[in-house]
Amino acid sequence: MDTVSLLLFSYDCLLALSLLWISWQIFANADLFRSIVLFIAFGLLMALVWVRLDAPDIALAEAAIGAGLTGALLLSSLARLDETAMSGKNISSGLPVRLTYRSLLTLVIMLVGGGLAYVIQSLPDEAEGLTAVVIEQLNNSGVSNPVTAVLLNFRGYDTLLEIMVLLLALLGVWSLKISPISGGPPAGAMLDYLVRLLIPVLILVAAYLLWVGAHAPGGAFQAGSVLAAACVLLLLAGWNIPDSISSNVLRILVILGPVTFVITSLLSLYFNQHLLAYPAAYAGQLILLLEAAATLSIGFILAALFLGNDPSAGDSK
Amino acid sequence: MSQPVFYSTIGIGLFCIGLYALIVQSHLLRRILAINIMGSGVFLLLVALGGRGTTGIPDPVAHAMVITGIVVAVSATALALVIMLQLSQTSGRAQQPDKSQDSRH
Amino acid sequence: MILPAQLHWAPLLILVPLIAALLCVIWPARVRWFGLAGVLTVLMAVIGLGVQLLGQDSYSHAPGGWEVPLGIALYADGLSLFMLATTALVACGVSVYATAYFKDEQSRWFWPIWMFLLAGLNALLLSADIFNLYVTLELVGLAAVALTALGGRREALDGAMRYLLATLLGSLCYLLGVALLYHGYGSLDIATLGRQLVATPLVSAAMGLMGVGLLMKTALFPLHFWLPSAHANAPAPVSAVLSALVVKASFYVFLRLWLNIFGPLGGIADLLLGLLGALAIVWGSIQALRQTRLKLLVAYSTVAQIGYLFLAFPLAMFGTLAAWHGALYLALSHALAKAALFLAAGNLLCFGGHDRISDLDRVVQRLPLTAATVALAGVSIMGLPPSGGFIGKWFLLEAALSQGRWDLLIVMLLGGLLAAAYIFKVLGHMFTQATVTHEASAVPATMEWAALLLACGAVLLGFLAVPILQLLGLGDPLVMTEVMR
Repeated sequence: MDTVSLLLFSYDCLLALSLLWISWQIFANADLFRSIVLFIAFGLLMALVWVRLDAPDIALAEAAIGAGLTGALLLSSLARLDETAMSGKNISSGLPVRLTYRSLLTLVIMLVGGGLAYVIQSLPDEAEGLTAVVIEQLNNSGVSNPVTAVLLNFRGYDTLLEIMVLLLALLGVWSLKISPISGGPPAGAMLDYLVRLLIPVLILVAAYLLWVGAHAPGGAFQAGSVLAAACVLLLLAGWNIPDSISSNVLRILVILGPVTFVITSLLSLYFNQHLLAYPAAYAGQLILLLEAAATLSIGFILAALFLGNDPSAGDSK
Repeated sequence: MSQPVFYSTIGIGLFCIGLYALIVQSHLLRRILAINIMGSGVFLLLVALGGRGTTGIPDPVAHAMVITGIVVAVSATALALVIMLQLSQTSGRAQQPDKSQDSRH
Repeated sequence: MILPAQLHWAPLLILVPLIAALLCVIWPARVRWFGLAGVLTVLMAVIGLGVQLLGQDSYSHAPGGWEVPLGIALYADGLSLFMLATTALVACGVSVYATAYFKDEQSRWFWPIWMFLLAGLNALLLSADIFNLYVTLELVGLAAVALTALGGRREALDGAMRYLLATLLGSLCYLLGVALLYHGYGSLDIATLGRQLVATPLVSAAMGLMGVGLLMKTALFPLHFWLPSAHANAPAPVSAVLSALVVKASFYVFLRLWLNIFGPLGGIADLLLGLLGALAIVWGSIQALRQTRLKLLVAYSTVAQIGYLFLAFPLAMFGTLAAWHGALYLALSHALAKAALFLAAGNLLCFGGHDRISDLDRVVQRLPLTAATVALAGVSIMGLPPSGGFIGKWFLLEAALSQGRWDLLIVMLLGGLLAAAYIFKVLGHMFTQATVTHEASAVPATMEWAALLLACGAVLLGFLAVPILQLLGLGDPLVMTEVMR
C-alpha cells in the first residue's frame, strides 16, 4: 500500500475505533450527563464518517439534527428529569444476578452480528444500485444535486410522509403537556451580544443552504435544522415572545410545509394525473417553493419540540 | 478490506452494541440512546454499501433514505423523551422494570 | 367532468386523512367534524376503489410520474382492498364512538393524531416499495404510541413507552433488512425484487431481520410482551384501533413480503411461523382466562387470535388458497369483533368506573346494548356460527384436515375451547349481581350503538363470505410467484 492509502486507512481505523469505543462508553458510564455528552460527540464523529464516505448532505443533517438537536433535546430532558425524579439520575444498569442471562445475550448478538458481517462480505465488490437510473433522469428533475432530486422529486412521496411524521411527533409532544423549559437565569451581556450577532448569521446560512441545495450539498432538511438551531439559541438566551403571537404564528409556520406538499399533491393529481408530478418546465421553481415551505416547517417543528409545550394552551406557565 | 465492507461492518457493530444496551439497560434515557445508536449503525451500513458504484458518484437513493431516517429518528426520540418525562413525573422514577421480570404476566 | 373510474381513489385515500389532520390543527374547535368527514370520505373512497378494481383487477400509481425502479410504486389489488375496507369500517365505528368518548381537551389532540394514523394505515396498505413501507410503518407506530399515551395516566404512559421501544426496535430491524435487500439487488420495489431474488444467505438474513421486525410489531409470541399493557391501558377507542388495525398492518406487510418475495424461496420459515402461531393461541388464551380485568383479558385474546393468522403459513405452502382465505377472513372478523369488545369495555368503564370482571354488576339489565355487544362479539371470537370468526376458522380447519395436520387441528380446537371459556366467564359475570353494587354513570347512546353495530358487523360477515372472498381474489394477490431455487 502506498503512503496515501495507508494514511487514509489509518484515518478510517481511527474513526471506526473511536465510534465503537464512544458508543460503548455511553452505556458503561454511570453518569447520565456524561453519557449524553458522549452521544453528542458520537454524532459529530458520525458527521466526519459521512464526509469520509462522500455524503456531505448527510454530514450536514447529522451534525445539525443528529448531534445538535437530538443532543439539545436530551440535555433539556435530563434537566427536567432532575427536577422531577428523585433518584433517577445515577442508577447504574442491571443487577449482577442476571449475569448468565447477559452472557447468553452477548453470545446471541455476537452470532447475529457475525452472520451479518459474513453476509456483507459475500456481496459483490461493485454494484450500481440506482445511481445510473438517477443520473439518467437528473436533467428532467429540475435540480442538479442528485440527493435533492431523489428527495424532492423522484421519491418526493417519501418526503411528504416524512414531514407528516415530524408534525405528528410535535402533536404527540404537545398532547402530553409537559412544562416548558425553564429559561434559566437571564442572559448576561456577553450571551446577549453573541446571540444578536449569531441569529442573523444563522438565518442567512439557512437561506443559503436552502438555495444551494439545488446544485450542491444542502437542502430543506439541513436549512431547517440550522433555523431550528437559531430558535433554540433564542430560547436558551431567555428571549420571550408573547404567547398570543407565538401560538398562532407558530401553528401557521408549523403546518406550512405539510400544507404546501398536500396542495401540490392535489393539484398535480388533478392536472397531471399523478401524485406530486411536477410540470417539467417549472420543476426547479416548484422544488424550491416546496423546500422553502418545508424549511420553515422543519425549523419551527424542531424548535417547538425543544420548547416542549404548546404556547396556545392558556395554562402553559 | 475495501472501504464499503469496512464501514458496513462497523455499522453492524454499532447495531449490535445498541441492541445489547437496549435490552440490558433499565434507565429509559439510555434505552433511547441505544435506539439512536442502532439507527446510526443501520444508516452507516446503508451508505457504506452505496459506495460500491463504478461511477465516481455515491448512491443518491441510499443518501436520501438515510436523511429520511435521521428525521424520523429525531421525531421518535422527541416523542420518547416526552413520554419518559411524563412517566417520571407521575411515577417518580424513570426506570422500567426490565422485560425478564414482567413477562410473567 | 371527471368520471368516477378515472378518479384516483388510491392517492385520495392517503391525502384525505392528511387534509383532515391538518384542518384539525388549524381549527381545533371543529375537530370532531373534520374527523368524521375524513372517515366518511375515506369510506366512500374505498367503495370507489372497489368499483374501480371490479373493472380492472388491479391498480397501479406512480407518484411523480416516475416509474419503478426510480420512483415509488403504489399498488392496489383484492388484498389491499380487503384490508382497506376493514380499516375504513372499523375507523367509522371507532370515530363515531370517539365523538362521545373524549372530552374537549383530549378531543383536540385525539382527532389530528387519529387522522394521521388513518393516513399512515392507508399509505401502508397501498405501498409496494420496501423503504416507503418503512416510513409508513413509522408513521403508524408513532401515531399509535401518541394515542396510547393520550390522557397521561401512569399505566397508559408505561404501556406507551414499552410499545414505543418495541416498535422502534422492530422498525430498525426491518430497515436493516431493507438495506440488505437494496444493496443485494438494487431495487426497492417489491415486484422487481420478487422477480430477481434467489435463495442466498443474504436473502435469508434479510428475511430474518424483516421478519423479526414485523413480527415484533404484530406481537406474535414470543415478541408480544409489549401488547397487553399497551392495549389494555390505552383509552377505549384507541385500544380498539390498536388491536383491530395497527397489529394487522404489520401483518399485512409481512404477508405481502411473504407472498411476493420470501415465500417462494422455501425453507423452514413457514413451519416456524406455524409453531409460534400455535404457541400464541395456547399461551394467549390461557393468560386471558387468568385475568381479572376485562381490558387485559381482551388484550390477551388479541395475542391468541393473532396466532391463528400465522397458522395459515404452513398450511398454504401446498397451493391451497383456503388457508389464506381463512386467515384473512379471521383478520377481518377479529378486527370488527375486537374493536366492538374494546368499545364495550370502554362503556363498562364509563358506567361503573372500573373494569374488574368479577364486579360487573347486572350489566345485562342496566346496559342491555353493551351486553348484547359483548355477546355478539364473543360469538365471533369463539368461532361459533353464524359469524365471520366461524367462517375463518372453518377454512383453516378444513385446510388442516385436508393436509393431515392433526397437530394444528388440535391446537385450533383447544383455542376455540379456551376462547369459549374466557368469553363465558365475562358473560357470566354480566348476568349476575356483584357483591358490592356501584354508583352507575350514564353511558352515551352513541357509544353503545357504535360498539353494537361493529359487533353486528362481525356476525353479519358470517353471511357474506362468498362476495367478500370474490373481492379478495381481484388481481390474484394470494397466488405465490413461482418457487425459485
